[in-house]
Amino acid sequence: MKILIVDDDRINSAILTRLLGREGHPVVIAHNGEDGVEKFMQEQPDLVLMDIRMPRMDGYDAARKIKESASDRFVPIIFLTAVTDEEGLAQCIDAGGDDFLTKPFNRTILQAKIEAMERIRKLHTELHLKKDQLEQHQDQLQQELEVGKHLFSNIVRAGNLLDAPCLKQWTSPLAQFNGDLLMACYNPAGGLHIMLGDFTGHGLSAAVGALPISEIFYDLTAQGFSIGDLVEKMNAKLLTVMPTRMFCAACLIEVDFRQKSMIIWNGGLPDLCLIDNRGKLAQTIPSDHLPLGITPMTRDDRKVRIFEIQTDHRLFLHSDGLTEAINPADEMFGMARLENFFDGSTPPDQLFDTIMMGLKDFRGVADQTDDISILEIDFSRPNKTWEEDSPQKSTKTIPPAVWDISFLFSAETLKHVDPLPTIINSLMSLQAPLGHREKVYTILAELFSNALDHGLLNLDTKTKKSPEGFILYYAQREERLAALQDGNISLKLSHVPLISEDDNKFGGDILICIEDSGPGFDHANVRSILEGNMAHGGRGIALVRSMCKSLTYNEAGNTATAIYSWTYN
Amino acid sequence: MSGTISVTREESETVINIKGRFNFEMHSQFRAAYQEDTCEGKKGRRFVINLSGTEYIDSSALGMLLLLREEAGTNESDIEITNARPEIQKILETANFQRLFKIT
Repeated sequence: MKILIVDDDRINSAILTRLLGREGHPVVIAHNGEDGVEKFMQEQPDLVLMDIRMPRMDGYDAARKIKESASDRFVPIIFLTAVTDEEGLAQCIDAGGDDFLTKPFNRTILQAKIEAMERIRKLHTELHLKKDQLEQHQDQLQQELEVGKHLFSNIVRAGNLLDAPCLKQWTSPLAQFNGDLLMACYNPAGGLHIMLGDFTGHGLSAAVGALPISEIFYDLTAQGFSIGDLVEKMNAKLLTVMPTRMFCAACLIEVDFRQKSMIIWNGGLPDLCLIDNRGKLAQTIPSDHLPLGITPMTRDDRKVRIFEIQTDHRLFLHSDGLTEAINPADEMFGMARLENFFDGSTPPDQLFDTIMMGLKDFRGVADQTDDISILEIDFSRPNKTWEEDSPQKSTKTIPPAVWDISFLFSAETLKHVDPLPTIINSLMSLQAPLGHREKVYTILAELFSNALDHGLLNLDTKTKKSPEGFILYYAQREERLAALQDGNISLKLSHVPLISEDDNKFGGDILICIEDSGPGFDHANVRSILEGNMAHGGRGIALVRSMCKSLTYNEAGNTATAIYSWTYN
Repeated sequence: MSGTISVTREESETVINIKGRFNFEMHSQFRAAYQEDTCEGKKGRRFVINLSGTEYIDSSALGMLLLLREEAGTNESDIEITNARPEIQKILETANFQRLFKIT
C-alpha cells in the first residue's frame, strides 16, 4: 500500500516513514499542503497521512483538494493531530478526513488504522466495480427493451386502422409494454374487425402474448376468415405458447356497415355498453365465453352473437383496468360509476371525453395499477366507400392467364366450414388482380350467401325487416343450417384475359357461376325480392349488379352467372 | 399491500382461506398453500377456496386458480370457490369460471 505523508515536521515524518517501512509500505513525503496535493497527483498513493497546521496550505484545504481530485476513487485520509477537542475533530471530518491519529504515534494503533482503511478501500473498489457492471447491465437492458418496443409496436400496429372514423380509443399502459391489445383491420368485404384483448398481468410478459395474436388477427382478417375462425386460431395458439396461469380476456367484433350488423364474441372482457341516441344505456353485452388460452375450444366456444346496428347508436368497450382503477381513498371506479355516465345527461358524442375526464378526476393522485383501455365505436360513421378501394397489400402481379376452377360443397361441408376464404384465396393465388380483391370477395360472398340462405335454407329476406326479425332471421339460419341434410352448392370460376395493344395494361374477365340444388326462385320476382334486400340498407344483389359487367339468372332461378372485369395499369 | 392465506386440512379436503387482496403478490404464498396436496400420487383431493375475507381479485389471481386446477389434475380436479362477495362473483362470471370450477 503506497502511503503519502504530508507533514512539515521532519522528525514526525521520519518516525512515520520508519514505522511504515517496517510494515513494507512504500512511502512518499510532502512537507506542506500544497506539496501534498502535488505529490498526490503525481504518485497516486492509496492512503494519505495528513498533518493539520502547515505553511502554504493547511491540512484541511489539502484534504479537500485531494478528495476532489480523487473523485470516484476512494483514498482514505488519516489526520495526524495533537488536538482531541471535538471541534477540531469535527473539522477534520468536515474536510473529508476518514480518521485521526493522535500524537505521539503508537505503532499498534497506526497499524490497526491502516489495516482498517485498507479493508474499507477494498470494499469500496469492489462496490465501484459492481456499480459499473450494474450500469452496464442496465444500459444493455434498456437497449434491448427499446428494440423490443420497436418490434412490438411495428408488429402489433401493422395495418392497424385505429384511426378509422368510427373509432375513438384511449389506452394507458402501466409499464413500458402494454398488456392491453387494441387492433382494427378491414376484412376483404369491407367490414371492420376490431379486437380488444387484456392479457394476465402487465409489462413485457403480458405483451409477449400479443405478438402471435396480432399476427393471427391481421392475417386471417385479410384472408376473409370470420370472427369465429379468428377466435379458434388465437385460442389454439395461446394454449401452445402460454403458461397455464396466463390467458387473454378478449372481445372480437365485426362491424358490417352495409348490412348494418355487428357480430360479437366476448370472452372475459367486462360488459360492453350499447348506447342509444339520447346517450342512454340501451343494452349491456356481457362476456359469455372463457377467455382465450385456457381450454381447447368446442363448437359452442366459437359461437358469436349477431346484432342489428342502429346508425345513431354507439358501443363502448373497456378493459378491467378502467373499472378497477382506484382513487386515493382506495375505492374502485366500478361498473356503476361508468354506467352513471349513460343516464342521458351527457350528449352521446361527448360521452367518450366525459368518461375520460371522469376517470382522471376520480383517480386524482392515486397510482395506476393496471393497463387501461377504452374504445368507442360510433355507428354513424361508416369507415369507407367503395370508391376508395384500397390497393392489395401484395405487390405481386400475375400476368392474366386462362384458368378455370370449380368447387362443390355438400350439405355436410357447409354445416361445418365457411368456404369463402378458401375460394377467395385460391382465386387470389392464381390471379391476384391488384385492388380488386374486396370487390371480388363481396360479389362471391353475396352470391354465395344467397345460394345458401335462400336456395338451400329457404330463408325469407322479408323476415329481416324488423329489429326482432333480424335476430329471428339469424336464429332460423343457424337452426336450419344445423339441420341441413341434403343439397349442395357448386361454384365455377373461370378467367379470360383481356387482349390489349398496350403492354402495360393488364386485365381480364372473371366469370362466376354459382348453382344451388334448391328449388330456385320465382324468376319473375327474383329482382324485386333480392334487390329489396337493399332497402334494408344491406348488402344485396343490386350491389353485386353495380360492380359487375353483367349478372344473369337461369330460368329456374337457382343459377346465377356474374362477370367481373378488372384492369390494372 | 396484499392478503394473507391460511390453510386447514382434513382427510380428503384442503380449505384455503384468502384474506385481503388476492393479487400477483400472493403467487408464492398461494402455491405453497396447496403444493403438498398436489404432488405425485396425491391427485383427486378436494379443494375449497374460501373467499369470504377476500376484498379484491385480479387477473393474476385467476391465473393462479387455473394453475391449481392444472396441478390438481385439470378435468379430474374437484375445486370449489366459495363465499365470494358480489364484485368478485361478477369477475368470476365475466371470466366464465363457473365452467371450470364449482362456484358457490
